[in-house]
Amino acid sequence: MSLPKPVMRGLLGKRLRFHIPLAFAFALVAGGLIKYGVTEPRKRAYAEFYKNYDGVKEFNHMREAGVFQSVRPSGE
Amino acid sequence: MFRAVLGLTSSGLRCVAKARPSYSAPVAARCYSHGKAETDEEFDARWVTYFSKPDIDAWELKKGMNTLIGYDLVPEPKVLDSALRACRRLDDLASAIRILEAVKDKAGPHKDIYPYLIQELTPTLAELGISTPEQLGIDKL
Repeated sequence: MSLPKPVMRGLLGKRLRFHIPLAFAFALVAGGLIKYGVTEPRKRAYAEFYKNYDGVKEFNHMREAGVFQSVRPSGE
Repeated sequence: MFRAVLGLTSSGLRCVAKARPSYSAPVAARCYSHGKAETDEEFDARWVTYFSKPDIDAWELKKGMNTLIGYDLVPEPKVLDSALRACRRLDDLASAIRILEAVKDKAGPHKDIYPYLIQELTPTLAELGISTPEQLGIDKL
């Protein structure tokens, strides 16, 4: 029972030719998933929040809460 | 492995892409746009000749083995036979056994290569009185 001759050349090359494009593809897919799963919803959430944001109203709200040192609530 | 990846320079990549149709891609030879790439048989013959030098010295043996191990291949039995005989001429049993360890490592995940090599080299190992790492029990950690 003698063993047949296996392939002994180009083994690393074969492995890299397969795995490096795969790694590239994985990286692109992962990037795409994060972009469209995380960053785009986040950008949309911020845009929504600031679409009708009234800075002065928020300021007065905070003023009445008494958190500023430069202005006191309108009652005092 | 990273060294191999870095070795895929732009010229190397071009060469690999061009060489894809033939499965035995050029191994040690540079990819020439002119001139012929060395065949596997020429490569083996060159290395058998290298190790067959009657007055090879210890440095040349080490250098040859290190260079050979750097290639993307497991050396053919006839190349290893030549190297083992060079070890015999240099009275270097340690290097002979180390060569066997090295080719087992070169095979990596391909577990069918080393048994085949030992099968092919058994006559030589018997003739030169070289024990395999397995026989010495030094293959286990």
